Amino acid sequence: MIRLVRSEWTKLFTTRVWLGLLLGGCVMVGGFAALLTGFAGNAESGLPPVGTPEFEQVALAQATNATVLFLILGIIGMTQEYRHRTATPTFLTVPRRWKVVVAKLIAYSVAAVPFALVMLAVNVLVVTVYAGARGAAPSLTGDNLEVLATSGLALVIYALIGVGIGALLRNQVGAIVGGLVYLFVVEPVIRSIPATSGAYKWMPGGGLEAMTATFQGPDLLGAWEGGLLLVGYGLLAALLGTLLAVRRDVV
Amino acid sequence: MHGLSKSFGRVQAVSDLSFTVEPGSVTGFLGPNGAGKTTTLRMLLGLMQPDSGTATFDGAPYTTLTAPLRTVGAVLETAFHPARSGRNHLRVYCRAAGFPLSRADEVLAQVGLADAGNRRAGGYSLGMRQRLALATALLGDPAVLVLDEPANGLDPEGIQWLRGFLRHLAHDLGRTVLVSSHLLSEVEQTVDRVVIVGAGRLVREGSMDQLRSGADGAGTVLVRSPEAARFADLLRADGTGVTSQDGVLTVTGTTPAEVGRRAFAAGIELHELRSRTSGLEAIYFQLTGGSEQFAAPSPVAQEATR
Repeated sequence: MIRLVRSEWTKLFTTRVWLGLLLGGCVMVGGFAALLTGFAGNAESGLPPVGTPEFEQVALAQATNATVLFLILGIIGMTQEYRHRTATPTFLTVPRRWKVVVAKLIAYSVAAVPFALVMLAVNVLVVTVYAGARGAAPSLTGDNLEVLATSGLALVIYALIGVGIGALLRNQVGAIVGGLVYLFVVEPVIRSIPATSGAYKWMPGGGLEAMTATFQGPDLLGAWEGGLLLVGYGLLAALLGTLLAVRRDVV
Repeated sequence: MHGLSKSFGRVQAVSDLSFTVEPGSVTGFLGPNGAGKTTTLRMLLGLMQPDSGTATFDGAPYTTLTAPLRTVGAVLETAFHPARSGRNHLRVYCRAAGFPLSRADEVLAQVGLADAGNRRAGGYSLGMRQRLALATALLGDPAVLVLDEPANGLDPEGIQWLRGFLRHLAHDLGRTVLVSSHLLSEVEQTVDRVVIVGAGRLVREGSMDQLRSGADGAGTVLVRSPEAARFADLLRADGTGVTSQDGVLTVTGTTPAEVGRRAFAAGIELHELRSRTSGLEAIYFQLTGGSEQFAAPSPVAQEATR
């Protein structure tokens, strides 16, 4: 298995997809963190002012904006095999196909850790410098540290979910577009409609919010329950994807 | 391969196909486009599930092999990530199969791509892609090689090289090679045995020599002569089958040499003397004729329907 995981890392780092997603993530996280700090305390924005615990926890959770990129990382990692037809040599090398999916789950979860640390570092850097300039840099202790830890964990879990979705859908463009539509259209709608918002806490977005949100919002699970829910979704998608990958013909 | 069958929806791609590939030889797997060659090879390699039947290597299905790349090397299509270099593409599979990374450079040199190893595979020519696919198949130094239309996209020089390479693998190194093609002429000089399929069924299995003797045996000779009528009578006199049309005789069951000898003995002037069957290619067409799933009407037939 370790051979297969290393093979996946070789695949990941011999194209430039990872670099693009990493840089994109830095820009995204840095941008959101800067915007949030800039509008902190602004009466119209409704954001708590710099220096309050509420502000610090929201500001340090901005790395979670990159979940979508980690999702795409996982999706591309799986679907590139079908898109570029390398599924053929891959499954010729490893005829027991479930091993390939498991290796990808492990490889991308592990690879997502340093990526997530970079996101957190960008987040902390921007908030510390900017909020520091506006009066008070947040301390990296207590609740603030916990927010950072759960944000990083959420990023890693989304990469795992991405691999699972990729195994399930196979079509790269379809999986990415479907994932984006779900995250940015379907879930917000469900969240905002009172009749369905009760179900939201059981959905991936609800799980993510449960892990990272510190104020406002609808009824949510606890942080660890939310995290487990997310892992569950990732593994469920991977399991279904694996079962299908084993049965489906590779053409 | 025993009793393999596979259908896609209503199309029966392969039906009850059985044949054996002998070790240490090059076997040509021939048939027109759509005859089920690729489907058969994909079932052989565990990439497709047959509806019925089995395909095994020394008795073991591909998916149960403990070291698949060491046992079987396959070139099914030129599949690689366009942004990855040829060398890195090979390294991916070295890692997955547990081979040392140096194998990547060895096989690149073996197929003549050593200089192009660091270039993005997306920029390779068709011939280079075929060579990279072949290099992937050679990584595990396998005892059996399975190649699906490996000559596609190769220039004449590349085809020449491939022929020599496959012969070398089979005859000098004792490897078993199964190579598919839709052109008999492409593999004619390379293969020792042929398996011919049409519309998913086995049409002919045997050695090249057997196929050749079939080509020579069924001789039809075409003769053009100003004394056609006299020559026809002469030939018919001892029971040789002759049909005559516009001074052209079609003589069956004989050879051009025999007909020429008879004409010379009788002092008959000949303007043309040739074999109607053009050897192997004709036999191949005869065997696979009408079995092509997507046969286009011939120009003559189209003319007639106008």
